[in-house]
Amino acid sequence: MGDENDDLIPQRQSLFPLNADDIVDNALQSLDEQQAKEVTKKAADEVVKIAVEKRKAEYRSDRAQEEMRNLISNANLLDEKVDDFKINSTFETATGTTSVEIKKSKTNTTLIIVGVVLIVLLTLLLIFVKW
Amino acid sequence: MLYLLLFIFASFVVVLYRWRLAPFQRQKKLTRSQENANLVKVLLELDTDSREELFNLYQQQFGKNAARYARNTYQKWKADSVRPNKQTFSRFLISLPRLMSFDLKCEVLRELREAYCPRGEYSVTVSIDDWKPSLTPLVEEIIQRATTVQLPASLQRRLTWLAEDNTAVANALLAESQARESRNAMTLLEKEFSNIEELLDNAPRNTRISHVLKFPLGSIKVNIKRGSEDGR
Repeated sequence: MGDENDDLIPQRQSLFPLNADDIVDNALQSLDEQQAKEVTKKAADEVVKIAVEKRKAEYRSDRAQEEMRNLISNANLLDEKVDDFKINSTFETATGTTSVEIKKSKTNTTLIIVGVVLIVLLTLLLIFVKW
Repeated sequence: MLYLLLFIFASFVVVLYRWRLAPFQRQKKLTRSQENANLVKVLLELDTDSREELFNLYQQQFGKNAARYARNTYQKWKADSVRPNKQTFSRFLISLPRLMSFDLKCEVLRELREAYCPRGEYSVTVSIDDWKPSLTPLVEEIIQRATTVQLPASLQRRLTWLAEDNTAVANALLAESQARESRNAMTLLEKEFSNIEELLDNAPRNTRISHVLKFPLGSIKVNIKRGSEDGR
């Protein structure tokens, strides 16, 4: 009889909805022993994988540094000997990709653009005058 | 003459507008069969070991002939030269996930997260000697994204196994793993920027550098300026 009365007592419930951590906790509690073992193993594998990826990334960073030094010496050599050059390089680094553009040009790009614009304007003017 | 020029200009604007709009319109018009094909393609992005485990499971469930066909055709499915039919989709993405090991399910989920979770794409210009204050908040946002992001509701409705308990745990595990990967990237950035600074200090003046930081759920394009004290 006493047990029946206990069932009638309302349970305390949070006024807030479940958050992501609660959902994961509930999910973890409902796993059987085998599933829990698989989860633990996978978590350990992930830790190892992240450590390996970090090492690989450090290696990529060292290699990129070496390649960048080579690029600098090549670009400086060209800079001394050649008037016009352009080098585009990309390096796979620890965190992504670095793109480098080095260029040297004696011809002034701005002057070229201004010249082209002037020619177009003059042509248009000539066309208008003829019409 | 003026009207002619105006007409040509207006036509050019209309063509440009329609051309830019076209990809978005195409995206909206994905049929169910295209959606299925895309999902199968995502699944086949698994690394070699996981893909082999998947095909072995496929063979156990659906027989040698079906498995042989799947093995022979998967490159064509990936390349879009053959579209997987409804049965193939259903076998790979509805039936098999319930039988997969936790490990394989995690790998499938990782591919789905990378393909379908909304990504954070940023672009920022920083100075070589003052990059941290600009980049740190963006990286933190991407780390936060990894822990909170969810697969689209429409996908969760179609792949009902995503709601199972061990899938929820797998999702939490992957979220933490991807957040850690992103934090590692932040620690490696010091060295990256030191390399870039060395390059900028020693390369000829007309050198432009940009760096794309890649994370599991996003990327940041960083345009790098020389230090402010250079006055360049």
